Amino acid sequence: MTDINKKLSALYDGELEKNEIDNVLRELDNSDELKKTLSMYSLIGLSMEDKENITHIASANSRKDNQIFSKLWLSNALTAAASILLTLFVVNYADLSRMNISTESANKIASAVNSKEAKEVVANSNEFLVDHIMNVINDPAFMNTNTIDLRNVGYNISDKQNLGYSNGRESFKLRIENRDFGLNRIRYWRHGNKMIYLVPISNGRVVTIYGNISASKAIKIANSIKQ
Amino acid sequence: MKKNSNNNDSELVEKVKKGNKMAFNFLMNKYYSRVYASLFSFTKSHEDSEDLTQMTFLKVWQQISTFRGDSAFFTWVYRIAINLAKNYVSSANFKKQKINTSIEEAEIEIKSFDDSELSLIHEQSLHKIRNFIDSLPESLRTAFTLREQDGLSYEEIGKITNTPIGTVRSRIFRARESILDHINQEIIKND
Repeated sequence: MTDINKKLSALYDGELEKNEIDNVLRELDNSDELKKTLSMYSLIGLSMEDKENITHIASANSRKDNQIFSKLWLSNALTAAASILLTLFVVNYADLSRMNISTESANKIASAVNSKEAKEVVANSNEFLVDHIMNVINDPAFMNTNTIDLRNVGYNISDKQNLGYSNGRESFKLRIENRDFGLNRIRYWRHGNKMIYLVPISNGRVVTIYGNISASKAIKIANSIKQ
Repeated sequence: MKKNSNNNDSELVEKVKKGNKMAFNFLMNKYYSRVYASLFSFTKSHEDSEDLTQMTFLKVWQQISTFRGDSAFFTWVYRIAINLAKNYVSSANFKKQKINTSIEEAEIEIKSFDDSELSLIHEQSLHKIRNFIDSLPESLRTAFTLREQDGLSYEEIGKITNTPIGTVRSRIFRARESILDHINQEIIKND
């Protein structure tokens, strides 16, 4: 089994020779054990990929209650996930009881919905913005699109494969959209220990900056792109 | 060996387009957990997340001919999942029965988590797994982390660690085997 397991591991990583793929697929089709192994690879990878997200899932599964939801709002009302949920709730007029959310949590959400900041989020949000933020968070390749010389503001390309920028202390990825999502000023979200900034620039474009970087630096970078 | 970390996906997708259920089965098993995790952020419910994940892969099977390869395969799958999640959030009439009927009509086997897999999606289990990964021999831990956490290709890992690609492949495999042994002996067994 070792040889086929080794090939399965390589195929899981997308690194198997083309002429070996069919053989692995046939073996996989005939073996529940191999299917289980593949699924386990995926779960192990997931636990490595986004510790914060999977811990939320794990915690919720462990406790089997909705405390995680209210905690999300209390601890950080502008996390990306919360903003997205807020948008969806308001835009789609969802029934909160559908989500098994308690009265207390519903009241907190109602307060959040009525806050000035939340209204701005909703006013500026549409399905493209929701998609965009979710892609930034969940798809590592999504931010690997633009190569821009940022040496004039002190950042070098630190990772040519993944197009990351760094000045030694701060690191981030950058993407320029040819749409403005209806934004007329900077929006930002916290995701784990990283920040997502959407900074409107000229010609109806928006710069997305995702990483370990302050708002002032993100604006400075966006301004350098404007010029 | 290929440089792109998901390079085999395009070949597998082409096979699925030709009706190859084995290739579909592989891709479903590979991405099932990630889709589930994304959907969980919307539903906060295991049951609904798993139902939606199954619906996602049903749609993947049904609509694979429309995938043009402009984006990564997972990006396309992910978009299907998010659209389903939006409908889920906006609909008060989400019926599981509809999913079951559709799956039967599709005549394909759609995955679901079994008990041992579910036991891994548990805070304590994940903590144990991470601790074990931290205790792996340095050469295995480095190769495995560069692959799983940083998404580097075998070639890139080989350059960083100054080792042949075959050795990288072997180290990542050995790391996975060690983690699986640990899960089977120390986590699933004790649940």
